[in-house]
Amino acid sequence: MEITKVLPDDCISLIISLTSPRDACRLALLSHAFNSIADSNAVWQMFLPLDYIHIISNSSSPPSLLSLPKKDLYFSLCYHPILTHNGDMKFQLEKENGKKWYMVGARALSIQWVDTPRHWTWISLPDCRFCRVAKLKNVGRLEIKGKVKLSTLSSNTNYAAYFVFKLVRDRYGFRHTPVELEVSIEGAAAGEVRSVILDPPRNMPQQAKERADGWLEIEMGEFLNGFEDDRTVEFSLREEHDDQPKRGLIVQGIELRPKHNR
Amino acid sequence: MSEVDMAVIKPEMMKSYIWLQTADGSIQQVEQEVAMFCPMICHEVIQKGMGSSKNYAISLPQRVNPAMLSLILDYCRFHQVPGRSNKERKSFDEKFIRMDTKRLCELTSAADSLQLKPLVDLTSRALARIIEGKSPEEIREIFHLPDDLTEEEKLEPLKNTTDDPRIRLLNRLYAKKRKELKERQKLKNIEVEEERVDDRSVDDLLSFINGDNGDSKGIKNSKSKKKNRRRKDQQKNTSANEAIKNHNKEPNGLNQVCRSAEVGQKVRAGVGATSNLHDVGDDIFDNKNELDDVDIDDEIDPALKEKIDREVEDFARRLNSDWPERMQEILSFGHERKPVHFSLNGNGSLRRYANSEQR
Repeated sequence: MEITKVLPDDCISLIISLTSPRDACRLALLSHAFNSIADSNAVWQMFLPLDYIHIISNSSSPPSLLSLPKKDLYFSLCYHPILTHNGDMKFQLEKENGKKWYMVGARALSIQWVDTPRHWTWISLPDCRFCRVAKLKNVGRLEIKGKVKLSTLSSNTNYAAYFVFKLVRDRYGFRHTPVELEVSIEGAAAGEVRSVILDPPRNMPQQAKERADGWLEIEMGEFLNGFEDDRTVEFSLREEHDDQPKRGLIVQGIELRPKHNR
Repeated sequence: MSEVDMAVIKPEMMKSYIWLQTADGSIQQVEQEVAMFCPMICHEVIQKGMGSSKNYAISLPQRVNPAMLSLILDYCRFHQVPGRSNKERKSFDEKFIRMDTKRLCELTSAADSLQLKPLVDLTSRALARIIEGKSPEEIREIFHLPDDLTEEEKLEPLKNTTDDPRIRLLNRLYAKKRKELKERQKLKNIEVEEERVDDRSVDDLLSFINGDNGDSKGIKNSKSKKKNRRRKDQQKNTSANEAIKNHNKEPNGLNQVCRSAEVGQKVRAGVGATSNLHDVGDDIFDNKNELDDVDIDDEIDPALKEKIDREVEDFARRLNSDWPERMQEILSFGHERKPVHFSLNGNGSLRRYANSEQR
């Protein structure tokens, strides 16, 4: 029994679409018949998020992106993030499973005093997809907040929020004073508050991790996005207890990615 | 014809049996509520008035043999009862699909022809679970698939828009291997192989004639597009590779070349044996960086420029030495470029005064 003689193509498409993108790539190398089915739009459309057309249409990407074969579009969204929401958010797909990643750029965050040039300034950096990132010149109290509607994200997925930042050489205020990170869903019980030091001295463990794009990130917290949840998730970074001046922090944004707990 | 009419004209309909005939000629009668659970049978009964007697038995599609019909009716018999809980149904389903792969395939096919979607979903999921994570060889064995892709087709070049030198080297090796295979085929003078080669050039011709329009329908088009891109990539590769050679003096550059040499070894060693197919499939998945949008419009200059710009940014990140001089060196190895001006920002990061879009 050869499967392609028993099953019609659209049954095979359905089966492949129920596996994973990685499996679909492998299946494309099995035989001629599988090659055309496993690479087909019918299959790869199922790996893209349900609202992919809406997302791309409302992004800064050229509409020609939508006329790509779906497999190419899938990988384009994995490797080349697009800017959405007027350039304030960055969107991409997680390659293994097509889950959505969103980064809320600094422009879309509520940063206290950000529009006062004495405290914060907006700069442009070449290694960053966003037009502008926020650079801290001097502030006593630090408060950075953001929120995202859960319906924007992939459903039935456990997400984590990461604060993405850099520290310039000329910085102070983050070495010994911890900042407080919190993630919570509005209306639900308050989330866990984490106290972390962004810029620990060399002999202390560094909690922030270096990213592929050269920035640092630190996990703020986790939350579960259920099914058809129309609530909002909120994140905050605060340093309020100490009126010690702070300087030299560059904020790219807060990134939301699925977290797979093993 | 309404159901009421049928009840008056054909009193047999009051009995709760529907007559079905499978492709092998055998006829059986099935409780009405069970058979009507299948949309296709339902349609035949209501729209065409069939199934009321032996003479008017509904002819089932060829894909439904008596064994499959029996299984499908078991499924329908259980699920058409309205009162069951989700838990009960799930439990039944789990036990129901415990059968060998061959039967699962036949069952999927039969259920599909009867438009019984819930069962198609159930069996498809079961088959997907069987396929998941397995290597191509294992899958071929399970489904008795012929290994009918040529070595050439398996060695489709990895798309490479972030200019990872390892991928470039891999693609060059693939191209070399494909060339070798073509030579071998010519020498052996096998008719079939040659025909395939001819097919390819027809595809190329067609796409050339059609001006390589962005017709996203079908795989043939994307294949010929890939071939065009392959050729373009090879053009770009040669110019970019020279740039790579000159940066091999850097310790970072050396590491890159060493790693690509290792990858190259892996490809060379494994390419003859199909046991490496798992890796090739995964290679393609892992490294599938996607194409320039610009490729679709067939503009070479901006694509080249963008490629070189990206290469510049890539090196800018990795190399910590004299930036301006290094940039000029890289740029002088491309061709057909507008002059790009560089300067350093206050905080030491590179700023480009070109009109290309921000990444």
